[in-house]
Amino acid sequence: MMQNLNRYSRQMVFYEIGQKGQERLLASKVAVIGVGALGTAISNLLCRAGVGHIKLVDRDYVELSNLQRQTLFNEEDAKNSLPKAVAAANHLRQINSSIMIEPVVTDVNPWNIESLIEGCDLVLDGTDNMGIRLIINDACLKLRMPWIYGGAITTTGMSMNILPEEEAPCFRCAFPNAGLHASHDTCSTVGVLGMTTHIVASYQATEALKILTGSEDIRRNLIYMDIWSNAMGYRDIKKNPDCPTCSHHEFTFLSQPRTSYTTSLCGKDAVQVIPFGETSIDFSSIAKKLSPIGTVKFNKFMLSFSDSRVEINLFTDGRAIIKHAKDENAAKSIYSEYIGS
Amino acid sequence: MIYLDNAATSFPKPESVYLASDYALRNLSGNPGRSGHKLSLSARNAIEETRALIAKLITASKPDEIVFAKNATESLNLALKGILRPGDHVITSTLEHNSVTRPLEELKDHGITVTKVHCSLEYGADLNAIEAAILPQTKLMVFTHVSNVTGTVNPIYEIGHLCRKRGILFLVDAAQSIGIFPINVQDINIDLLAFPGHKGLLGPQGTGGLYIRDGLEISPLIYGGTGSQSELTHQPKDTPGCFESGTLNTAGIHALGKGVQYALDKGINTIQKEEAVLADHLILGLLEIPRIKIYGPSLSSYRSTVVSITIAGIDPSECAIILDNAFDIAVRAGLHCAPDAHTILGTICSGGTLRISPNHLNCISDIDACLEALKEISAEGGW
Repeated sequence: MMQNLNRYSRQMVFYEIGQKGQERLLASKVAVIGVGALGTAISNLLCRAGVGHIKLVDRDYVELSNLQRQTLFNEEDAKNSLPKAVAAANHLRQINSSIMIEPVVTDVNPWNIESLIEGCDLVLDGTDNMGIRLIINDACLKLRMPWIYGGAITTTGMSMNILPEEEAPCFRCAFPNAGLHASHDTCSTVGVLGMTTHIVASYQATEALKILTGSEDIRRNLIYMDIWSNAMGYRDIKKNPDCPTCSHHEFTFLSQPRTSYTTSLCGKDAVQVIPFGETSIDFSSIAKKLSPIGTVKFNKFMLSFSDSRVEINLFTDGRAIIKHAKDENAAKSIYSEYIGS
Repeated sequence: MIYLDNAATSFPKPESVYLASDYALRNLSGNPGRSGHKLSLSARNAIEETRALIAKLITASKPDEIVFAKNATESLNLALKGILRPGDHVITSTLEHNSVTRPLEELKDHGITVTKVHCSLEYGADLNAIEAAILPQTKLMVFTHVSNVTGTVNPIYEIGHLCRKRGILFLVDAAQSIGIFPINVQDINIDLLAFPGHKGLLGPQGTGGLYIRDGLEISPLIYGGTGSQSELTHQPKDTPGCFESGTLNTAGIHALGKGVQYALDKGINTIQKEEAVLADHLILGLLEIPRIKIYGPSLSSYRSTVVSITIAGIDPSECAIILDNAFDIAVRAGLHCAPDAHTILGTICSGGTLRISPNHLNCISDIDACLEALKEISAEGGW
C-alpha cells in the first residue's frame, strides 16, 4: 500500500527510525489487550506513530469515571455507554485514517487468546488483571511473540518487555506469585493518577517502537517508578531455570484455565463470581480498602459493599454475588475492579 | 461436607453402585444388543437386568414397559411429545418442574391447550378443580408426584382413578418420589411414569427412564439405529427398542440397577419411614429458630424430606453460600426450576427459597449441624 509518509516526518528524521523503520512500523500488526488508561494511551501513540494495524481488545463499556485518565474517550462515549474498544477505534480512525484499526469487544480468556493475537508482531498489556497477564504470557511464549507488560496504580508504575528468546526471563520469572491472591489493591479501591498511566504507557509504546523496528536498544530489565515520591529505577530479572512457562514450556494457563467463572442466580438480577482456586478473604482489610469509595458493612459471614454503581456481596472464600450487572462479563469486570483478579 | 441437596441429585451412592460402574466399563463393554458376541451380550444382559429391577420396583406388568433415557426431563419430553397432537388438551398443576412446564409451553405453539390446576402446599392439587377442568378433548393429565420445592405430595392415586374413569391418560413425574415413595403403576392407574436414575434410585447421573403402559400408542423422540430390523427404512415399532435409538449408557444403567437393588433390599417403606423421621426432626428444629419461615406441608404431614425456607432479611442465595463456605453444608437456593410453585409461595420475586433435602443416608446429627448453622446465621442477621 502506498502511504503518504510525510505525516511521520518528525519521527522519520530521528535516525534510529528513518524511512526503513517507518515502513516496518506500517507493516506491523499489534494487539492492545485492555483499552483502559494504559490501552488508550498506548494505542493513541502507536496510531499516531503509524503502526499499520492495531487490534483493540476490551470487554468493558465507557463510564464517566474513566475520563479522568482514559484520554481517548469523551462524555458522549460515556453517555452512550459505548464499548471501550469501539469508542477508541472511532477516535483513532479520526486521528489516522490510513492505518487499520480493529476493535474486538470480548472477554480475554484461555480459549480465545491465541486466535486474538494470532498474526500479530507484538502484544501490549493494557489490562489491570494478573490472571489475564498470565494467560497473555503463556500464549505469547507459546506463539513465540514478544509482549510488553505495563502496570500502574496510585502513583507507581512498572513495565517489562517479555521477549521470546531462550535466555530471556518471562512474566512469571518476574512475578512468581502472580494470580495467587484473590484480593489485592486495584485502581478502583486505591486510585490511580492519569499521569502514572500515561508515563507507563509511554514507556510501553517506546519499547513497542524499538521491538517493531528491530532496534538493538530494547530494554532488558524491569523499570519501576513512583512519580509522587520521586523514585525511579531498574531491576534485573533473572530467568528462573524452573519456570514452568519459559523454561519448561508448560502453558498451563491455556490448558487448565485459572480464571474466575460465573453463574447466573436463578430468578434474580444477580451473578455469582467464583474466583479460581482457594482463597481466604479478610473482611476487615477489604472493608478498609473499600470504605473510602462506598458503603461497606460486614458480619461474620458476608461483606456487603455498594456505591452509586454496583452492589457486591462478598464471602470469606472469595465468592461474590454481583447485583444488577449488565451480564456475566460485566460481573467479572466489577469483581476484578473492586476485589481483585 | 454434609450433603443436604438430594432433591437435586443424591449423594453418596451405595458402594455397589460405584463398583458396578467400574465393573461395567471393564467387563460389560460391548455394544448392547448390536453385535452378538459375548461382550455385547453381557452388556445387553446388564441392561435387561436393570430394566427388570425397575419394572419390579414400580409393579409394571413386564420389563419391556420400561424405556431408558438420559434423565427424567428426556422421559417427560418423550411422553408429552409422543402422546400429544394438535387439538389435544392437557391438565397439569402449579407445582410442576420446568421439565413439564417448558415442553408444554412449547406444545402450546403447536395447537395444544393446557389448564394448570391450582395446588395447595398442604395437600397438592384439588381433585374437584381437576375434574372441573376436564374437557371433551382432554387427552392427558400430567402431575408431579412430589413437589421439588416444598415436598408437597399430589394425590396421584385419586387422580389416577379419575383419569381411568374419564378415559384420560395419566403421566406422573416421579423425579422426587421414585425410590422413596411406594409406586404401584397398576394400582394407581398410571399410563406413563417418568423417573431419574440419579436421585432416589441412587444411580449415576445421565440415567433415567419412562414407564409406558403396554399397548399405549406413543411416537419416539429420537430416531435412528435400534440394533434390530436394520433393513427397515422407517423406525421399527418394537418396544422398548424403538424408543432407545443409539447406544445406551451401559455402565450407568448397570450401576443404576445396583441402586434399585439397594432400594428393593432395604425396602421402600423402610426408606420412607427413615426419611420421615429426618424431615420431622428438621422441621421441628426450624420452627424454633427465629426469623425462619417454612413453606409447604406442616409438621408430620405426608410429605417428602424436601423443606423450603427463607430467613427474614437474608437472601436465600447468600445463605446457601454461607452454609457451604462457613459450615461445609450443601443445600440449594433459588427457584429450583419451578417458577409456578414460587408464585404460590410468594417467593418468585425475592430470590426463591433455601431448599434443604436430606435423604435416608443422612443421620440426625447432619440435621442438627444444619440447624445449628442456620441458628448462627439467623442470629448474625442481615443488615
